[in-house]
Amino acid sequence: MNSEKLDSLSLEELYALADKMELDLPTGLERLFVMEEILDAAEEDSEDRRSSIDEALLVEEKKYSGSESDNLELRIGVPPQLEQRYNETMIRALVRDPSWAFAYWDLSDAEKSSMVGDESASPLFLRVVELDREGGDLKHGHFDIPVSPEDLQWYINLPRSGIRFRIDLCSRRGGGSGTRIRILARSNPVDSPRQELHPGSEGIDQAGLRLLQLSGIGDMRIHTQTSDNPIRIITSGMELQPGDSD
Amino acid sequence: MAKGQLALVLNAHLPFVRHPEYPRFLEERWLFEALSETYLPLLRLFRRLEADAVPFRLTMTVSPTLASMLGDKLLGERYAAYLETQLRLVAAEEKRLGADSVFGPVVALYSALYREDREDFETLYGRDVLGGFDFFYKKGRIDLITTGASHAFLPLYADSPEAVSAQIETAMVAHRRAFGKHPAGFWLPQLGWHPLIADALRAYNVQYTVITTRGALLGSPTPHRGSFAPVQCPNGLTVFVRDAAATKAVWSESEGYPADPVYRDFYRDIGFDLPIEYLAPYLEEERTRIFTGLKYWAITGSTADKRPYDPAAALVRAREHAANFLAARTAAAERAGPLMDRTPLMVCPYDAELFGHGWFEGIHWLESLFRQAKEFSLDIVSLSEYLRLYPESQVSTPEFSSWGDGGYAEVWLDGSNDWIYRHTFKAAERMTELAERFPDESGLRERILNQAAREVVLSMCSDWSLLMRAGKSSTFARRQVEDSISNFGKLYDMLCSNTVGTEWLTRLEKRNNIFPELNYRIFRKKR
Repeated sequence: MNSEKLDSLSLEELYALADKMELDLPTGLERLFVMEEILDAAEEDSEDRRSSIDEALLVEEKKYSGSESDNLELRIGVPPQLEQRYNETMIRALVRDPSWAFAYWDLSDAEKSSMVGDESASPLFLRVVELDREGGDLKHGHFDIPVSPEDLQWYINLPRSGIRFRIDLCSRRGGGSGTRIRILARSNPVDSPRQELHPGSEGIDQAGLRLLQLSGIGDMRIHTQTSDNPIRIITSGMELQPGDSD
Repeated sequence: MAKGQLALVLNAHLPFVRHPEYPRFLEERWLFEALSETYLPLLRLFRRLEADAVPFRLTMTVSPTLASMLGDKLLGERYAAYLETQLRLVAAEEKRLGADSVFGPVVALYSALYREDREDFETLYGRDVLGGFDFFYKKGRIDLITTGASHAFLPLYADSPEAVSAQIETAMVAHRRAFGKHPAGFWLPQLGWHPLIADALRAYNVQYTVITTRGALLGSPTPHRGSFAPVQCPNGLTVFVRDAAATKAVWSESEGYPADPVYRDFYRDIGFDLPIEYLAPYLEEERTRIFTGLKYWAITGSTADKRPYDPAAALVRAREHAANFLAARTAAAERAGPLMDRTPLMVCPYDAELFGHGWFEGIHWLESLFRQAKEFSLDIVSLSEYLRLYPESQVSTPEFSSWGDGGYAEVWLDGSNDWIYRHTFKAAERMTELAERFPDESGLRERILNQAAREVVLSMCSDWSLLMRAGKSSTFARRQVEDSISNFGKLYDMLCSNTVGTEWLTRLEKRNNIFPELNYRIFRKKR
């Protein structure tokens, strides 16, 4: 974005651009002021971006040193409209790092309709279930995250690194002792990465420990032991009520 | 006897950008700039070393998307036109500044660069730059390896074996097509590793790959040689480990060598300094300012403190930095050597485009490195050479990791780009469904299936999610994914409804002409 480019736009187009950039400008400004506001905001945005992204990204982005394509639609037309959903009941889990997972899901139209008609159905929730690393059986328990019918994705703060888990998309029916939990979809099992050394590292001799130090282990925020995330302690099935099902 | 071994690994990669439907296309310049400042200068470096009998060794990826673009006739024609435009701009600048004692020599530098590029591209290589790399590959100077077909960030697809295999198999086929050999190594896009992809790599006879130090040190069990030797997965895949200190010295924008004030400032470009009327004849679009590649200032300080670029001083500094780098590696090898039962290895993987394009003096730094290594008692080896020397290593499975911010998937999975996975996973799943439903098609239906598979592979490109996160060319990046997913959707619908838009299909095949040998059956269920 530059002043020559803005100069070629009409006042109406400048206001539209300011609007797109979420600038709340009073109406009736001289075009010079509108242009200044836009350029200032663009500069600020660029500085914010540069300070928020990591060094590797800065190196990488030099490969892509064209102009920022703020007029892409003019150049190559309107983008295709993607389906926002695929009308299926599903959930998928992806691991981002030792602390966070990402889940996205959907409910088929038929599933949604059946829930609308069921007055006892409560809002949806995600049940994060820890699994055994080897056998895939339930290990410790779970925790629940309420989500609204409009939500289609969620970032989940994990209780510990190095765990295997899956995420169930559930609804609860009825109330009190008659509560029943229905699992609408079950995600793929996923492993969150460890951020502490393998337990067997205690057996490494002095030479090995020195080599780890020379490799830079001190700068890598590698933990020496597992620690729990206090806001996400998995409970041992405490939320399961008689009559629940899963 | 050498105190240590140094393995340089360069990943030459750009995402697939080719738009024949437009007379000129801004983002195709990514390729042209990298050709001018990195790929052709790298080949000139190889030739100089060869002429002086300097025994250089390098492991290098030419990614399948880059190989496809380097071998493309249309992009070759457009690159030739780009060079002519650059030379016209340089000529105008020579007229404007030629007599200037400060800036005249800098303009002369660009004049020489683009003339050499034109000479090499047109005359020496006959527009076949891949052939240039192939020459040194066959000569045994460089080990060419491959990477994910569209540079997908594999850890996020790790539990989709069909998607992972499609990336690997397509890459293998593309590599054999370009270079006539099966690659021994596989560069993990963004150094993204997940234990679940080890078996897929071995299934395609990949012998080695490279990961981050963090991923290796968190491995199971902990590697007792640290990053100074590779580890071997239980299935036999050798995993080399990036040297953290060597990475920081080159890669860090704030502390690394490229940040030295004497080097050329990448961001201060005449495309943003000179009047738009003057620049207009040399721009893609007359009123859109872009990086022209002509930069006259040293990094120095803020705008008021900026000093003109002094090429001679910058080259002296590059030599000093190469010596400093080698001295630091020797010192590390001297400390590690007595603790080990073999010569310490330091693996230095970088983006190739850093050298020359991002860090203008980087090519000279590399050259100095090769020329001075012996003085520092370091052997420069390729990863294959090392593997022949030490075929066995400690068995350990590295942990999920990448070279992105935070060390995991944060760059490729955040609020700016997480929307893509709903679509790419669905497309891969539907592609598997199609490959199972139509296992033995030929003719038109096979063409549709192959193009559908091509679009799925393209949609998985990690560069687009990276650009969305970086906020740079993010609209364009978003559009690339949307187009691939939308194209796949139309092809899927064609197959399901048994209606074919032949004209549209042919146009799409001509535009996205990458991976001509791709076989849609790579998406069949892994049993």
